[in-house]
Amino acid sequence: MWEARTVSGQALILNGITHRYGGSLAVDNVTLDIKGGEMVALLGPSGCGKTTLLRIIAGFIRQSEGAVMVGGNAIDALPPHQRNIGIVFQNYALFPHMSVAENIAYGLAARGETRAAQQNRVREMLDLVKLTPMADRYPRQLSGGQQQRIALARALAMRPSILLLDEPFAALDKNLRLDMQIEIKSIQRLAGTTTIIVTHDQEEALSMADRVAVLSQGKLEQFAPATEVYDAPSSFFVNTFVGASNVLDGVVRGVDGGQAQVRLGDGSDLSAPLPPGIQQNARVKICIRPEHLMFSEGAGDLDGTVALGMPLGSSVVHEVRLGDGTAVKVAGPRDAGAAPLAMGTRVSLRPTHATSVRLYPA
Amino acid sequence: MNGRPLDFGAFSFRLVMGLLGLAAVTLLIMPTLVVVIVSFTNSFSLRFPPPGYSLRWYAALGDAWQLQFAAWNSFTVALWTTVLAIILGVAASLGIARSPKWTAKVLDSVFMSPLVLPALAYGLAALMLFSLVGWSISPVTLIIGHTVVCVPYVIRTTVAALAQLDTVLLESSASLGASRFYTFRRITLPLIRPGILAGAFIAFMSSFDNVPVSLFLRDARTDMLPIRMWQDLEGKLDVTIAAVSGAMIALTIVALVVMERLTGLSRRIR
Ligand SMILES: Nc1ncnc2c1ncn2[C@@H]1O[C@H](COP(=O)(O)OP(=O)(O)O)[C@@H](O)[C@H]1O
Ligand SMILES: [Mg+2]
Repeated sequence: MWEARTVSGQALILNGITHRYGGSLAVDNVTLDIKGGEMVALLGPSGCGKTTLLRIIAGFIRQSEGAVMVGGNAIDALPPHQRNIGIVFQNYALFPHMSVAENIAYGLAARGETRAAQQNRVREMLDLVKLTPMADRYPRQLSGGQQQRIALARALAMRPSILLLDEPFAALDKNLRLDMQIEIKSIQRLAGTTTIIVTHDQEEALSMADRVAVLSQGKLEQFAPATEVYDAPSSFFVNTFVGASNVLDGVVRGVDGGQAQVRLGDGSDLSAPLPPGIQQNARVKICIRPEHLMFSEGAGDLDGTVALGMPLGSSVVHEVRLGDGTAVKVAGPRDAGAAPLAMGTRVSLRPTHATSVRLYPA
Repeated sequence: MNGRPLDFGAFSFRLVMGLLGLAAVTLLIMPTLVVVIVSFTNSFSLRFPPPGYSLRWYAALGDAWQLQFAAWNSFTVALWTTVLAIILGVAASLGIARSPKWTAKVLDSVFMSPLVLPALAYGLAALMLFSLVGWSISPVTLIIGHTVVCVPYVIRTTVAALAQLDTVLLESSASLGASRFYTFRRITLPLIRPGILAGAFIAFMSSFDNVPVSLFLRDARTDMLPIRMWQDLEGKLDVTIAAVSGAMIALTIVALVVMERLTGLSRRIR
C-alpha cells in the first residue's frame, strides 16, 4: 500500500511571476503561496494564462520576471527533468509504444532505479488507481478515464514534490468526470502531494480545491478558500465568473455608516454593504446571486412580473422582469407538488440578507 | 432521371483515371515481366518470346565472377552509404525539426537539392572537387558521392516522422525526470524509427542502382553492378544480364514486403 514517506507535500511559492510572449502579456505579476499538501485550483476563462503559469512551474518556459520556489528553494535555474514536478496533460500524453506498466515505470527507469524497485512501485500505483489488470495493455487499448488514471499513476510513481493537472477532465464525458474528480481528490489526499489543478470550470474548482486562485487576463483576482471565493468575491469579475449572478446598474444615493443606499434603473432602492473606495453618487454594478433573492410577502425592494418559471428538480428558478425591463433570476427550494408561478404574476422581491447584495465600481 | 448528369461525371472521371492507371501499370510492369520471362529462356538470345524455358542462365550466375564481384561492390557501397545517410540524415532532420519555421524551410531545401540537381553534373563536380583537394578516386570517394545523393530520402521520411511526433510526449518525458538523451533514446527514436527505416531502404536501393555518380567517382578496380550490366549488355547482349535483373527484381520484392510489414513503407513515401 501507500508509503507514509510520501505524505509530505512541498510548499510552492510563486513570487511576482510575469510572462510575455513576444510583446503580449500572458501572466501579470502573479504571487501565490501554496502550502504543502494543499490542492489549489487555477480558475479562469480560456486564454487567461493558466497553462502558461503551469508550464512556468514545470520549467517548460522561463518566466520573464519573478521566481518559483519549492520547499523554500528557488528552482528557476533547474531544467524540467531536474525539478521533480509531476504533470498530467490534458490529452494524458501516455507513451504509445509502451505498455501501461512501462509507462508507469518510466520515471523510475529514467532515474536508474533497479528493476525490482520499478516493479514494486508499478504494482503500488496500479493498486492505487485500481487498474492492476491493465498492466500489460497499451494506451490505445484503454478508455479515456483509464488513460487518465494511468497518466496520474505515472506522474505519482516518481514521488513528485508538486503535481500539476492541466484541464484534466476536459476530455471526459460528464458522468465519468464526476467519478474521476472524486477519485483524483481522494488519491491526492492519500498521497499528500501538493497539487495544482488548472480548470475553466468553476464547479470543478470549487468542489475539488482547498483554495481557488481566480485569474483574469493574466492577473490574479482572488486567492481564497472555495467557499470564500463564492460567498465573498473580491471583484466584479470573480462575482460573475464564479457562480451565477444577477447584474444591475445603479447609483449610490446615500452613505450611512457601513451601508450604502443604491438607486436602480427602475427607480427602486436597495441597501448594501459599502465597499471601500466607493463614494456618494458613484455609478456602481450591483451583483445578487439568484439564490439570494426571494419573493416578499408584503412590499419588497424590487417590483416586477414573472416572465418564466422553471422547476429544476429540488429547486425552482423564476425569471422576473423589473419595471425598466431588466430581467433577474430568482432561485429557491421547491416544495413538493408546488408549480412555478404563472407568467405575468406581479411579484415583489427582496434580498435574503443585507450582505448578499454586492457593489462594485462601474 | 435525377442524378444522371452527376453519375455521368463520376463515371467519366473513373474511366479516365482507370485508363491512366492502366497505362502507368502497363508501362511499369510489362517491361519488368518481359525481362523476367526472357531470363528463363533456354536460348542464347534475348529474343521475346523465348523459344523454350530453362534455368540455365540463373545457373550461369554462379560462374559469372565479374558480375558477382560487381554486385558485392555495389552491395557494400550501398550499405556504407545507407549507414552514413542514416547518421547524417537523422541528425539533419532533428535540426530541421527543432529550427524556427524559416530556417527549417531553408535547410530543408538545401538538403533536398541533390534530388533535383542532375546527378551527372553532381558526379562531375564532385570528381573535380576531389582532384582539386588532392583526393584520389577510391571506394571512399564513391561512398561519399552516393551518400550526398541518398541522404535526402532519409531526411524526407524522418522529417515527416518527426512532424508526427507529439511534443507533449517529450515534455512529459522531461517532467518524469528523463534527460534529453534518455528521452531521445526511449521516446523520440522508437517513435520515428519506422520513418528512418523507410528512408534508409529507399536510400539503399537508390545507391545500389546508381549509375551517374558511380560513373565519375569509382576507380578502375571498383566495378559496380549497374555499370557492369550495361557494359556486358552493350558488348555481348549477354542473357546472364536478364537473369541478374530477374534476381534483383525478386530480391527487391521480398525487401519491399518486409519493409512494408516493418515500417508501413507505402504510407511514408507519399
Ligand atoms: N506559445 C505562445 N506564443 C504566443 N502566445 C501564447 C503562447 N501560448 C499562449 N499564448 C497566449 O497567452 C495567453 C495565455 O494563454 P494560456 O496560458 O494558454 O491560457 P489558458 O491556459 O488560461 O487558456 C493567451 O492570450 C494565448 O493566446
Ligand atoms: Mg490552457
